[in-house]
Amino acid sequence: MDIQNLFQKKLLPIALLLLATTSLFAQKVVRYDLYVTDTLVNYAGKEKRAIAVNGQIPMPTLTFTEGDTAEIVVHNQLKESTSLHWHGVFLPNKEDGVPWLTQKPIEAGTSFTYRFPIIQHGTHWYHSHSGLQEQIGMYGSFIMKKRDDDKTFRKGIDDLATVPIIISEWTNLNPDNINRMLHNANDWAAIKKNATQSYAEAIREGHFKTKLTNEWKRMLAMDVSDVYYDKILINGNHTSDLKTIDGKILKAGDKVRLRISNGGASSYFWLRYAGGKITVVANDGNDVEPVEVDRLIIAVSETYDIVVTIPDEGVSYEFLATTEDRTQSASYFIGNGIKQLISPLPKLKYFEGMKMMNDMMKMNGDLDDMGMKMSLNQMDMNVVMYPEITGDAKQKQDHSQHNMDDAPHRYDANALGEITTLNYAMLQSPHNTTLPKDAPVKELKFTLTGNMNRYVWSMDNRVFSETDKIPVKKGEVLRITIYNNSMMRHPMHLHGFDFRVINGKGEYSPLKNVLDIMPMETNTIEFLANEEGDWFFHCHILYHMMGGMNRVFAVDDYQNPYLPNKKQAYNKLQRESNMPHIMVQNDFATNGNDGEAMVQNARWSLGTEWRLGYNDMHGYEVETHFGRYIGKMQWFMPFVGFDYRYRKMGMDEHETNLFGQKNKKDTRSAFSLGFMYTLPMLVNFQAEVYHDGIVRLSLMREDIPISKRIRAGFMVNTDKEYMAELSYVLNKNMGIRTHYDSDMGFGVGLSLSY
Amino acid sequence: MNSLRYLLTALIILSFGVSNAQIKNSKTETLKIYGNCEMCESTIEKAGNLKKVASVDWNKDTKIATLTYDATKTNQDEILKRIALAGYDSDKFLAPNDVYAKLPECCQYERVNKPVSKAAPKTETHDHSNHTATIKKQETNQLNTVFESYFALKDALVKTDGNTASAKAKNLSIAISAVKMETLTTDEHNIWMKVMKDLLFYTEHISDTKDIGHQRDHFMSLSKNMYELIKVSKSETPVYYQHCPMANDGKGANWLSKENAIKNPYYGSQMLTCGSTVETIK
Repeated sequence: MDIQNLFQKKLLPIALLLLATTSLFAQKVVRYDLYVTDTLVNYAGKEKRAIAVNGQIPMPTLTFTEGDTAEIVVHNQLKESTSLHWHGVFLPNKEDGVPWLTQKPIEAGTSFTYRFPIIQHGTHWYHSHSGLQEQIGMYGSFIMKKRDDDKTFRKGIDDLATVPIIISEWTNLNPDNINRMLHNANDWAAIKKNATQSYAEAIREGHFKTKLTNEWKRMLAMDVSDVYYDKILINGNHTSDLKTIDGKILKAGDKVRLRISNGGASSYFWLRYAGGKITVVANDGNDVEPVEVDRLIIAVSETYDIVVTIPDEGVSYEFLATTEDRTQSASYFIGNGIKQLISPLPKLKYFEGMKMMNDMMKMNGDLDDMGMKMSLNQMDMNVVMYPEITGDAKQKQDHSQHNMDDAPHRYDANALGEITTLNYAMLQSPHNTTLPKDAPVKELKFTLTGNMNRYVWSMDNRVFSETDKIPVKKGEVLRITIYNNSMMRHPMHLHGFDFRVINGKGEYSPLKNVLDIMPMETNTIEFLANEEGDWFFHCHILYHMMGGMNRVFAVDDYQNPYLPNKKQAYNKLQRESNMPHIMVQNDFATNGNDGEAMVQNARWSLGTEWRLGYNDMHGYEVETHFGRYIGKMQWFMPFVGFDYRYRKMGMDEHETNLFGQKNKKDTRSAFSLGFMYTLPMLVNFQAEVYHDGIVRLSLMREDIPISKRIRAGFMVNTDKEYMAELSYVLNKNMGIRTHYDSDMGFGVGLSLSY
Repeated sequence: MNSLRYLLTALIILSFGVSNAQIKNSKTETLKIYGNCEMCESTIEKAGNLKKVASVDWNKDTKIATLTYDATKTNQDEILKRIALAGYDSDKFLAPNDVYAKLPECCQYERVNKPVSKAAPKTETHDHSNHTATIKKQETNQLNTVFESYFALKDALVKTDGNTASAKAKNLSIAISAVKMETLTTDEHNIWMKVMKDLLFYTEHISDTKDIGHQRDHFMSLSKNMYELIKVSKSETPVYYQHCPMANDGKGANWLSKENAIKNPYYGSQMLTCGSTVETIK
């Protein structure tokens, strides 16, 4: 209240002075009370837990005008802690809403007040920054309007009828479970999406060699996204109609401004409109020079303001948001009357994508851009998979495309196709955005790294829990060059600031707070670090963020009243970003039980495997390994192990291994030292030496995708043991497995996994 | 092996039984779906049917469809939307234009529900928001026909398609010959007198050959003259004067385009985005 009084005292005379020329500048406090509760929803055929705020999903749209003071009171009625982050909003660090970085988590049953002045305008959004709560409902639009007397007020754009739109995805699976499945390379999502890319499918499409090369380069089947969603939602609905705005009925010729935020946890969306071109007028809350496109892709957590026109009376036009993998979409019909549809995006040509990845991937797991300087989403490697741009899969073989393969534009969607797709190079700020010339510049370089197989995501091959805060002096310009050396695209988001994207527009470089970086791209951003505090910089794909793709910029030594012990808080944050995940699997077969259990985090792995027969002859065997994954691709894992085995062999029967070493005991307990290495074709080579001198080498491969649902595997070792298996995937936790084992013979069983 | 076989048989029997099951909680409705022939019938029914959930029976004479569906699992809109996405209008949904355009000729039914202004010029260009405006303009400004033909020729060159370029050049020369000078404004008239001969000369040369190289050579001079003309003629939409520094053996050459994005007619896909806009004519 003191601050407010001060403001009023000081500002009132000034305002009175200015009253003659301009309208009154009011210091208005806009207060929202947000009640966060558990709820049950049914979006996709099943009742599931979700989180609602004031009884609704998405959370209510919060609207302010530049110059207001926001006062938002969060009442946490959940059984767990929560937080709210104001995405893209300039504010004092302690209001930024990152638990253990800018405040303590809002504990169950308590309330917390966020209060900050609104010093900007534009389309933004807000979401929980605690765990995976964002996935199950905690996202909402956050709109800051321009004042009517704003000098940047654009007639014909800022005075249009406006609708806030927030796009999100829904899954019937528990997001914690999704996170676990991703780390365990469970391919259930691929089966659901029809994107297994198995050998059978490869042969059918004439891409056997492509698949072989892909596995030789130690890649698992890739998709443009990893999570399967059951429903896509626009403002909480799968299909909705927009017939009126503010009570005014829409008619032909009307222009509508959509303020779109992507509140999805991990999905990019293609945005297309059945009524003609889309005019982009702002991005991440910052005005851009209007640019007309046929379609655009909105990265996770980005916002775009677009203007669409209703061409004809009596028709409502479909605005369609389609996931990047093209499996799901949500419709929004604009106008009154019969519904004009837009054709859905055709299915991706996965094997073309695989071929492209093969070309780009070096044997050591680095990516090779083959001399193409890629940046700003201009070259989309994925166009090779887009039938609407590069033709249907079957036609393509007829045309000889040899001349195309070396052309410099073979990944440039706008050059290849008839349609215009937005990219960052087309964005231009309407005003000069240059930073102070005299400010000292700090140059930083980041390489985005990660590996698909174990789903570890990092920067410079270090996950968040392995790094300290990056110190920055207040008043410095931070110029950051980011290179994406991983196989997925990453929407990198900076808290608390807008950065300039160096995109060739010079002084008019656009301002953003999320930059999508495609594989092999190099982009440069810069901003003036003029607000002290600890600011998060991270990939906004929720499951990548949880995997450790984060950094913190510490601008000066900020004293945060909410976090007296910053060191301890930071440790907590680090720990939360590298939580261990569990995997258990067991095959209940006719000849015994085969199974394994593992606890892993980004680097460490504790795993145990068992083979339990039903009689003494078959024996009982348990092997436990504790190891650490080394290197960016994590192909190498040294470990210490302990084996226990009991079996009744009968008289004078000994086992001799390939090296002539004998193992006489029926009961054996042994410690071992060894390592595992992933060979080309994804074959695991494992070597161990036991404390009694016995050496064992083995080769194994699991989950060879034979067809969409059939998996094969094998194991051989120098103890002259071998095993071959074939399984059929029934659902995400269940399969039918048949195998032959040298110890236990032939078996069929039901395999369960968690 | 035996147990596996039993299991498989069991699975097969199970799935067979399932696929034959009737639609539960069924609800029946009749409504109109626009179409022509037997081919339409099979497309419409295939698009609408969903195993165990919905079945569609369409009568090609009455154009009436009978929908039978499980009301707990789907609704009329979902079925009609699937049918519209296959190319067939109903009273609730209009099929996407590109899907309709791809229907076999016998299936190109009359789209009575589609507003006229969009339906007429739908095929040749996509998504020009100002169709009605362009048509009106054509009546008053006959030079627009000349410009449109020029852009069509340019697009053919962008695609490195010598045959189409030749045909489009023929259209252009017809358009040029058809211009009634007396209806032009004074400024337009002056320039027209100056460039008309050249325009016709280069256009005819382009239409006379199918060699893309020759066509491109003449297109440089054609574009220069066209630029002078378009500068004085008032155009409804902005036109972009664009420059490629590499064309004409490194001496550079220009062209006109309706889009700001570069699509180079001198190189086509070889170097499609080479160039920049040097002037925006409004």
